[in-house]
Amino acid sequence: MFKDSLTLGGRSIREALRTPDSLVPSIFIPVFFLVVNVGQTARIFPAGETGFLKGQNYAAFQLPASLLLSASFGAAALYLVEEIEGGYFDKLRATPIARMSIVIGRLWAEFVKTGVLAAAMLLISLPFGIRIESGPLGFLLLLVVVSLWGVVFSGFMQLVALKTRSAAATQGASMVFFPLLFVTPNFVPRNLLTRPMEIAASINPVTYVMEATRSLILDGFDATALGRGFAVIAVTMALMLALSVRMINNYD
Amino acid sequence: MTTAAVEAIDIHKRYRGRDGEVHAVRGVNLSVSAGEVFGFLGPNGAGKSTTVRMLTTLMTLTAGSARVGGVDVATDAHAARRKIGVALQEAGLDPRQTGRELLVLQARLFGMSKHDALARAVELIELVELTDAADRRIKGYSGGMKRRLDLASALVHRPEVLFLDEPTTGLDPASRLTVWDEVRRINELGTTVFLTTQYLEEADALCNRLAIIDAGQIVREGAPAALKAELKMRLGLDADPTLDEVFLDATGRTRSRVAGDVQEV
Repeated sequence: MFKDSLTLGGRSIREALRTPDSLVPSIFIPVFFLVVNVGQTARIFPAGETGFLKGQNYAAFQLPASLLLSASFGAAALYLVEEIEGGYFDKLRATPIARMSIVIGRLWAEFVKTGVLAAAMLLISLPFGIRIESGPLGFLLLLVVVSLWGVVFSGFMQLVALKTRSAAATQGASMVFFPLLFVTPNFVPRNLLTRPMEIAASINPVTYVMEATRSLILDGFDATALGRGFAVIAVTMALMLALSVRMINNYD
Repeated sequence: MTTAAVEAIDIHKRYRGRDGEVHAVRGVNLSVSAGEVFGFLGPNGAGKSTTVRMLTTLMTLTAGSARVGGVDVATDAHAARRKIGVALQEAGLDPRQTGRELLVLQARLFGMSKHDALARAVELIELVELTDAADRRIKGYSGGMKRRLDLASALVHRPEVLFLDEPTTGLDPASRLTVWDEVRRINELGTTVFLTTQYLEEADALCNRLAIIDAGQIVREGAPAALKAELKMRLGLDADPTLDEVFLDATGRTRSRVAGDVQEV
């Protein structure tokens, strides 16, 4: 299954390189949100006087939200549903590969694409005074966390594609998941949120991925934040993969 | 005793549709010998594609059993897929790849090395006469070129049985004749062909034997000439009937209804 997944992943990467326009929203929209959010709120949170910024500017605090937003623009599910509707999915199902390779192949490609886009966003942000407090190793870990979250998100979208077999429904589902990104400590740390928002953010798994990402930028290596972030990724990924195996093996 | 290339024993398919349970295939029995071109005809919604999808492991059987190349499609689907080549109704191709890339990928998924996959792609590109277009992206191919590439991709692993589900639907007459030539050439190389079609002249031109399915059940089976002779004798006709008349008689349809069905494509 590993070899077939890599073969299919290679095809998906080639597909992304041939449709660069599909990558534009993954960079443009998160950078737009970053610029607008920082522009509107940076004076409320001055760099030297705001404790939770740990000496950095507000963009450093906002950057994780933009990275996770970028990770949620993966096109894997839309390509998958296009292949279901066009019949190529059946062509792949008629080959003697483990059917899960079809799903995993796209997720491999999503991991690579998200990592490259996140690296580009981080490199763009460095000249604007953002430091990665955890250093080069933290930079790499940051890419891993964001890329893995991109895989989880795309995996759930692929489940919707497999279930509904409809491009419209798949596109619609991404709008359902989208608000989860904003029910998080997006603008201020969790302890500064209103009580109802704090409760909502605390039960939202995205919060812990965002806090893990943010800790690498502002704090260095915070074992608690990283542990929670990776735990959320591990659990959601295991759930997504288990559901995917079930869905694709019973696809009729 | 020789093993049938395709054998279906009392296969059924039921599924839940929008308006309740659908019993799409109701106890189909089939036996196709190695080397045959077997035609599977029927009006829209008769159960042709559902039967093909079950025989090609793309859909589970609700009841009954089916074997392709002697391998049970339900209990040993992986092995069955190595014996089967499939070109479904929609030419299932990835528009963003080139023809060559698609064939190489398909060959790799059937376990060929990169070197062998590249060599096989070249052979198949020549077979279906797409040499000039091989390195162009598929989205720029005409309908006929896509069909021929789809045929080639179904042949990468040299399958024992090639399933073609309405391979000429939507093609212009010239492209249709080209596909017919390909089917004959593939069959001459020893591949058994299982072909569904709504075009009766296509079945007449290509098939050694055929079966007509209606409402999920086989209503006629035999060689085209034998089916025509049987109808002529049964109805006491003076002239030889056409396959169209055999089809109308078997399905109990009128000419206008059949024409309507064909136009729905």
